[in-house]
Amino acid sequence: MTRLEANHLSIRYEKEAIVDDLTLQIPEGKITTIIGPNGCGKSTILKTLGRVMNASQGSVYLDGKSIHTQPTKQIAQKMAILPQGPEAPSGLKVRELVAYGRHPHQRGFAALHKQDYEMIDLALEQTGMAELGDRSLDALSGGQRQRVWIAMALAQQTELLLLDEPTTYLDLAHQLEVLQVLQRLNEQQGRTIVLVIHDLNHASRFADHMVALREGAIVREGRPEDVMNTQVLRDVFQIEADVVADPRSGKPVCLSYDLMMDGDAQPSQKAFSLGGMHGA
Amino acid sequence: MKRTVFIYAVLVLLIFGVFLLSLQMGTMTIAPLEVLRTFMGSGTEEHALVLFEFRLPRMVIALLVGTGLAISGAILQSISRNELADPGILGINAGAGLGVVLFIYFVQGSYTALGGTAFFLPIFAFVGALTAAFLIYTLAWKKGVTPIRLLLVGIGINAGFTAILIVFQLRMNPNDFMQATVWLNGDIWGATWHETLATLPWMVLLIPLVMMQAKTLNVMRLGDPSAVSLGIKVERTRRRLLVLAVMLAGASVAVGGAISFLGLVAPHIARRMVGPRHQVMIPTAAMIGALILLFSDMISRNILSPSEIPVGIVVAILGAPYFLYLLMKTP
Repeated sequence: MTRLEANHLSIRYEKEAIVDDLTLQIPEGKITTIIGPNGCGKSTILKTLGRVMNASQGSVYLDGKSIHTQPTKQIAQKMAILPQGPEAPSGLKVRELVAYGRHPHQRGFAALHKQDYEMIDLALEQTGMAELGDRSLDALSGGQRQRVWIAMALAQQTELLLLDEPTTYLDLAHQLEVLQVLQRLNEQQGRTIVLVIHDLNHASRFADHMVALREGAIVREGRPEDVMNTQVLRDVFQIEADVVADPRSGKPVCLSYDLMMDGDAQPSQKAFSLGGMHGA
Repeated sequence: MKRTVFIYAVLVLLIFGVFLLSLQMGTMTIAPLEVLRTFMGSGTEEHALVLFEFRLPRMVIALLVGTGLAISGAILQSISRNELADPGILGINAGAGLGVVLFIYFVQGSYTALGGTAFFLPIFAFVGALTAAFLIYTLAWKKGVTPIRLLLVGIGINAGFTAILIVFQLRMNPNDFMQATVWLNGDIWGATWHETLATLPWMVLLIPLVMMQAKTLNVMRLGDPSAVSLGIKVERTRRRLLVLAVMLAGASVAVGGAISFLGLVAPHIARRMVGPRHQVMIPTAAMIGALILLFSDMISRNILSPSEIPVGIVVAILGAPYFLYLLMKTP
């Protein structure tokens, strides 16, 4: 199993502190969703976990060792990151992009081996793209394209998958398709998945573990039932939400919401105190 | 796969065809049979002189320079993730040109009578090209290098280096000025075996090094976050690839002058034909670059015969419309 954790992480962009002293453990073999308003640092944290960005203080640990002390190719065999809105060069075929996922397992000039081909086929199958392998990526819909990128990350054969808003720009059905692919991977293969996601109901529905962020700090983390409630949503998003249990899954869903009244400063104060409590 | 082999075969045949045609054509037309006879060693002395000392070396140079610039452009387009990048636009050609002009100005004293010192040309071109690349890279650095900043700074460096070039050119005597201008527009006129042999080892060394990086280039083209995810050290890799591209451009410019558009157009056509995977795209681009330059050289020799126009101008006349077409198509 592969453990991923962040210890006393501070992240700066230019001179601005985005995250200050964040400690986070990703539960193994579970789906973790990260929610929070725009600019709360959720993407930044995901990028730092995936070593795409560097922390100014603190460190990310993979299997107990700081990621900066491990060869990057070795990390790439354990952890894949799917950035937001990735772009492939035009003319690239589905199978070719998925084959790029084998890069961390390849050496120098060597061609793809039998095992590589098997992993590529498997990844295409698991994402339902097996029949479109010879298509050009340009000819696919947004949902299909996103599934190809996920297939590339799958071909990388990592236990850990970090995804930055994989459902953005997709319609409702395609969002669900992508998330169900991830859910299957988690359930059938025990892969650890971390998702940054905007849709709260999706975040709750697919999560084993939820992390709610505000201004670079954790407001609440835990089971969806503990995180998706009126109080936390008020603190995190400054909204008045009606949260009920989904009759199908029992997971909390946000039925409707309203913006909080002007001048109602109290909840945001509370957010700080909650964040502080967590850090302590 | 079959398609790729077919395209390779067609390109090789085309290059071979143009090569044979080009051997015959020029101020002095030599019939195919005469060419063959001369190669067999039983031709006239005059034909042997024209073929072996004038035409052959410049045709070999055209092949080498076309290959070098095309591969350089392919690398630069991938690491800047911008299909409008090439060693000309980024100022690397201007840097190499400045290196050579300074060499001629200070060391050589005169452009004519290059002779054996041709072997030093690539070195000075490297120094100039690497200086330009170093400036581009450091000025574009801001906690890492973003592709768009690399391109924009490159355009600035190009303008700066071109200005310095003009200053030195203006201080030359009129004859050298003329020569340097022609050469800077891309010229392989009067190329001898000296220049050919000065470039060849660099190409033989650099091209395999680039091909070893083909897979890395594939992944770099996906952008930094994806490249990191796939286990690439992006900054170090980008520097290494930049140096390879710069040296290829330098070795090419040293003997062929600053031929523009070739590094831009060749990878582009190659991608259209075989897709963006570098294992096949780079060899295809190399052959297209060689073919375009060989063809342009033939045109430049014959269109205003007996006088010649610099081959770079022919390439530009062929390439500029394509460049505009690209600009219009790019959103």
